[in-house]
Amino acid sequence: MARIELVDLTKHYKQGRNLVRALDGVSLTIERGEFVSVVGRSGSGKTTLLDLLGLLLKPTSGRVIIDGVDTADLGDGDRAIMRGERIGFIFQEFNLLPTLNALENVMLPLRYRRHRDPEGKARALELLGAVDLLDRMDHKPSELSGGQAQRVAIARSMVNNPALVLGDEPTGEVDSETSMQLIDLMRKMNRERGVTFVIVTHDMEIAGRTDRMIRLRDGRVASDEPLGAQTAAV
Amino acid sequence: MLEILRNLTRRKLRTALTVLGITIGVLALTTMGSLAEKSNSLIDGGVHYFRDHVSVAAASNGGFGGILTIDKAKDVLKVDGVQAACADTGSNVKTDLDLSFNFGPGDQVIAEQPGCQQYSTFKFSYAGGHAIDDYGSGQLVLGSDIAREYKKKVGDSMELPQPPKKFNPDFVGHQFTIVGILEKTLTAPDSFAIVSFRDGQMLFGDSLPSALKGHVDATQLATGINVYGKPGVDLDTLANRINDQVAGVRAIPPSTLVKAFETASVVLTGITTGSALLALVIGGLSVINTMLMAVTERVREIGLKKAVGARTRHILVEFITEATIIGAIGGAIGLLVGWALTTVVNAGLTSNNQAELFLLTLRLVGLAVAFAVGLGALAGVIPALRAARLDPVTALRHQ
Repeated sequence: MARIELVDLTKHYKQGRNLVRALDGVSLTIERGEFVSVVGRSGSGKTTLLDLLGLLLKPTSGRVIIDGVDTADLGDGDRAIMRGERIGFIFQEFNLLPTLNALENVMLPLRYRRHRDPEGKARALELLGAVDLLDRMDHKPSELSGGQAQRVAIARSMVNNPALVLGDEPTGEVDSETSMQLIDLMRKMNRERGVTFVIVTHDMEIAGRTDRMIRLRDGRVASDEPLGAQTAAV
Repeated sequence: MLEILRNLTRRKLRTALTVLGITIGVLALTTMGSLAEKSNSLIDGGVHYFRDHVSVAAASNGGFGGILTIDKAKDVLKVDGVQAACADTGSNVKTDLDLSFNFGPGDQVIAEQPGCQQYSTFKFSYAGGHAIDDYGSGQLVLGSDIAREYKKKVGDSMELPQPPKKFNPDFVGHQFTIVGILEKTLTAPDSFAIVSFRDGQMLFGDSLPSALKGHVDATQLATGINVYGKPGVDLDTLANRINDQVAGVRAIPPSTLVKAFETASVVLTGITTGSALLALVIGGLSVINTMLMAVTERVREIGLKKAVGARTRHILVEFITEATIIGAIGGAIGLLVGWALTTVVNAGLTSNNQAELFLLTLRLVGLAVAFAVGLGALAGVIPALRAARLDPVTALRHQ
């Protein structure tokens, strides 16, 4: 489980002559086991924040500290190792490999571990059971519905026992009923396994089911409020 | 690994065409290469055969095939440094003009004066039977190719020369009994029919134009003299000495012959193998193209793999392996087709009474496999580097 600290995080891009301040001085602390949603208009910097948290991007300045490890000091290889073994990803468009079946997709992150995990396959099967897809484990992504594909992706994000799972619009490609099922599934994973979740969404109903909602505007934190009590009522 | 194989089947036609490119290259390499190997083995045999003695021919005729008399052998023997001078005869097995495509001079009836085999480093070994009686008559030893060509075994009889297809009133044939068959040497003796010197002289005499026939004494005839030097005598020097001291003959220094053979060998190998390698390199370019397209198609997948922990070397290995497999499959098919083709053509030629054209050696197989696999791997490097260097964020959001 991760405690994540963001210290004065900035990410600036050059776009032609203009300097785009995608993220402009964000400082946050996310406690272990929290389920956090990040909302904001497009261009507010929420995807950039997620990419920085996921060590896919390097910040222009500032620091991302995961469980006391300052990731600014890590090279590309170490960042990849940390992504593989400590962080799970869920994407809007599922990003399953079309040539692999559901079980093989769940097991993909095991392939890139430094040390072979003898219990990896058992865990993958257990996770497929937890997302209720054991009967579909040998189906290819093209044979799965959107909701099923995203459940495979959720199982994949958990297979290396990550401390942190990041979701980039994880319900963006499915209908609202499936959205609710998916967010409930993620919540279940979060509660039962104590994994920290940070998801980016523009769906307020989804955001409303999280513990804490961070609203970004123009690359800065506009609001940061706990939702815990209200969630239960929804 | 399984994923790599499935990736290959994603674009079946494209993969098949790429594999075909390598297949054609390897096919060219195996067929052209085995053509070169066959001629090289003949040439090697020639080099071996010519290195241990000086060949002496009649001067007037400028080459092999002129007429000498055995007296000349006695003259040559007097030259300082000569250990032995053995007259020999050579004539054709077939009386019809042999138009078949051969690397050698075709089937030859060979005879050497008795007692000369001991000087030659080129020793015959027998697959069956035994050597002819040097002083006998009517006995015959066949090379392996010629034995198969005429479907003969030890104990059979054979007419020499072979009668012409069209009736010829001047034709004279003689029946010989086959007493031995040589082991395959992959070189000149495979198409030798060896008879005693006396029989050889008779056959050579028969083969002369009728205008000449009446004026010669067959027992004095020879087509050439094989001169063996005393230990430590330089054969090239000896050849020059023979040319200086014996009139009417031309001694060819062995190094001249060997050099000619070796030049022919290098040129032939260069042309055949070079063109085949060119075909293979073109196949390799199509692997690069295919793999570059695969990288472009799979940008998001590469991004995903990087996101879930794949490092640069993982991506590199995956793409290079895929290209290597394309090379290996193409190589295997090419080799198999090449093997089948050369075998079938060889069998066809043999059953048609012609010499084999191809020799698929182990080193050639090794070269073809190594080249196909190596080229595949090499062709995978550029696309794999491109894939491995992709920025995960850009790759993941790639449309």
